[in-house]
Amino acid sequence: MLFLATFFPTWEGGAGAYDFVGEFMKATVDLADLVGLHLVMSRNAGKGEYKIMVAAMGWATAELVMSRCIPLWVGARGIEFDWKYIQMSIDSNISLGHYIAMAALVWMFTRYDLPKRYRLPLTLLLGLSVYKAFFMESFVHVFLLGSWTALLVKAVITGFLALSSLGLFVTLVHGN
Amino acid sequence: MLEEAGEVLESVLKASCLPLSFLLFVPAVLLLLGPPPAAEAAHEFTVYRMQQYELGGQPYGTRNAVLNTEARTVEADVLSRRCVMMRLVDFSYEQYQKALRQSAGAVVIILPKAMSALPQDVVRQFMEIEPEMLAMETIVPVYFAVEDEELLSIYEQTRVASTSQGSASAAEVLLHTATANGFQMVTSGAQSKAVSDWLITSLEGRLTGLGGEDLPTIVIVAHYDSFGVAPWLSHGADSNGSGISGLLELARLFSRLYTYKRTHAGYNLLFFASGGGKFNYQGTKRWLEDNLDHTDSSLLQDNVAFVLCLDTLGRGNSLHLHVSKPPKEGTLQHAFLRELEMVVASQFPEVKFSMVHKKINLAEDMLAWEHERFAIRRLPAFTISHLESHRDGLRNSIMDLRSRVDSKTLTRNTRIIAEALTRVIYNLTEKGAPADLQIFTEQMQIQQEQLESVMDWLTSQPRAAQLVDKDSTFLNTLEYYMSRYLKDVKQHHVKADKRDPEFVFYDQLKQVMNAYRVKPAIFDLLLALCIVAYLGVAYVAVQVRKKELILLFIPFFKLSECMSQVRSSGIQVKLRV
Repeated sequence: MLFLATFFPTWEGGAGAYDFVGEFMKATVDLADLVGLHLVMSRNAGKGEYKIMVAAMGWATAELVMSRCIPLWVGARGIEFDWKYIQMSIDSNISLGHYIAMAALVWMFTRYDLPKRYRLPLTLLLGLSVYKAFFMESFVHVFLLGSWTALLVKAVITGFLALSSLGLFVTLVHGN
Repeated sequence: MLEEAGEVLESVLKASCLPLSFLLFVPAVLLLLGPPPAAEAAHEFTVYRMQQYELGGQPYGTRNAVLNTEARTVEADVLSRRCVMMRLVDFSYEQYQKALRQSAGAVVIILPKAMSALPQDVVRQFMEIEPEMLAMETIVPVYFAVEDEELLSIYEQTRVASTSQGSASAAEVLLHTATANGFQMVTSGAQSKAVSDWLITSLEGRLTGLGGEDLPTIVIVAHYDSFGVAPWLSHGADSNGSGISGLLELARLFSRLYTYKRTHAGYNLLFFASGGGKFNYQGTKRWLEDNLDHTDSSLLQDNVAFVLCLDTLGRGNSLHLHVSKPPKEGTLQHAFLRELEMVVASQFPEVKFSMVHKKINLAEDMLAWEHERFAIRRLPAFTISHLESHRDGLRNSIMDLRSRVDSKTLTRNTRIIAEALTRVIYNLTEKGAPADLQIFTEQMQIQQEQLESVMDWLTSQPRAAQLVDKDSTFLNTLEYYMSRYLKDVKQHHVKADKRDPEFVFYDQLKQVMNAYRVKPAIFDLLLALCIVAYLGVAYVAVQVRKKELILLFIPFFKLSECMSQVRSSGIQVKLRV
């Protein structure tokens, strides 16, 4: 966040327009997330699956505590009811799946015994996972989706990502 | 022995997952114990509470000021301990009574933004209901709120929810709980309590006549406060804003006449703007006591010709002079009555003038007109008003808005009074002046713009007696205005007696109400069930269907293998060729 604030100028365009280029650059910074996940997994000694699970759960919990705990604590405990808290919770659920997929992809990417033919789909999926947020925002702005529809689209994309990475993982570990 | 105990403790601690599970429970415990924060409301709006006061020991109006209940409209079946919302356009007294009978928690009446645009029959009907609402003993708070878009949408949603309560089937009710929005109305602020040491202020000023001592005095009185079912909404345009503006205009004209020696008459003129008029004329009552009982010399003690009270002069085509005793022939009161009749007959034939004689009824709680206070102390007095009966709802209504006062009518009535007064003061009829002699013309004209601007100023703020403090800007402005034309402008204060108070006012008349969106309790259960079902499905999917999932994805990657093989074999073919 500090990095973002220091190095990216504020978007001074119109309120309705969406700065595609700026947001794209910001999403590129999320590549640092991949590096972080790799570091966490390399420290952990254990079988591949456990490494992935531990790293992903820890990462997802940290994200939950940092970004969602305070709004929930302050907002959801009052008398007023709002659907956005339920949406936030479902979103954190989806994030968990996303981080597990991301951790699995990172782990697979750094394996020395990765067959050549898996390199391309792996890279594609990794790229999708990093830029998923960017794609989501563009979707919402271009198609003017409602909050529930956006959540559904997010779930579908993450589901696709997760299932594909699961498939890759299974074939890699159990196939060869 | 100790070693063994230590070993046992160690093994217990190692074996149990107590620390970790305790960690899990900490947030849940904190959630339950901690106080809920003040969340942002769906809508926050100002509400004005119904009057709460005691007069002569008798309580009137609503008694309560705190609210924390769910909202419903009148169509709902169960109204007890709920906040009933009604719109003024659909208001009916029977529904209001029904809500109170079913021990509703509170009533909120939504007033339209443009009250002056309401149809006349709605206005009239509400004017008649107002005193009945106040007379009824209401333990629950009754609020008035001005309508805006959000409040209207809250009302509409509540109405839809209330009407569909009893009719639907079980499945519909379940679906309804998931989608519907209930509203919780909460007021901030404490319970209302009596205001101690409230001062009712009145203002007096005079114009001294020419020629030594023992001149006769004419007193012109009007009460400046207003009354309605909600104090913050009572602007009292006609009653009694028109009276005060008439008084100020007369002060201006006579001070002009008294400036020049030629027109300086031999009458003292005493102007009195009284407070607490709607609460049985408290200001006048105490002023009379102070002047007649407690002072050695006062203008009121010596030679009072008559007292003229101005009340409701703002509309209509009639004028009535209310007296408690018909004036005897040969007195100045009779002369004034005659002059009034003559001026009206010759200069303003469209006006219907009559004298209304009503005996003072001391058995009633409230006195009818202001002149009765003077008449009780044996001072000759009358009230001039366009209303025929003192019970007319117009005198005590929140519907008495600026639009109800017609400037032309007010100017005309002020003119009639001024002409008649002048004819009496300068004895014009005996001196042979014709009946249609117009005195107040050209430079001495009654200025309609002046009257209009005074009326606008008066109705720009609510002037209920509970709201006009002795340091309020309204009183300061009034005092300043009067001191421009009159001399010896003084304030006169009335404080209620400690042991046997004549009047008691309560506070918390304007509060902020929050409407929070809430879901019914069943919704929580439904949500919990959904979450459990979701987790169950996820668990089952992961545990049981693992193999099927893997089988699903094998063909996808077999295909990618084939494709890459085809690519590599294609290159080989090329090379061979």
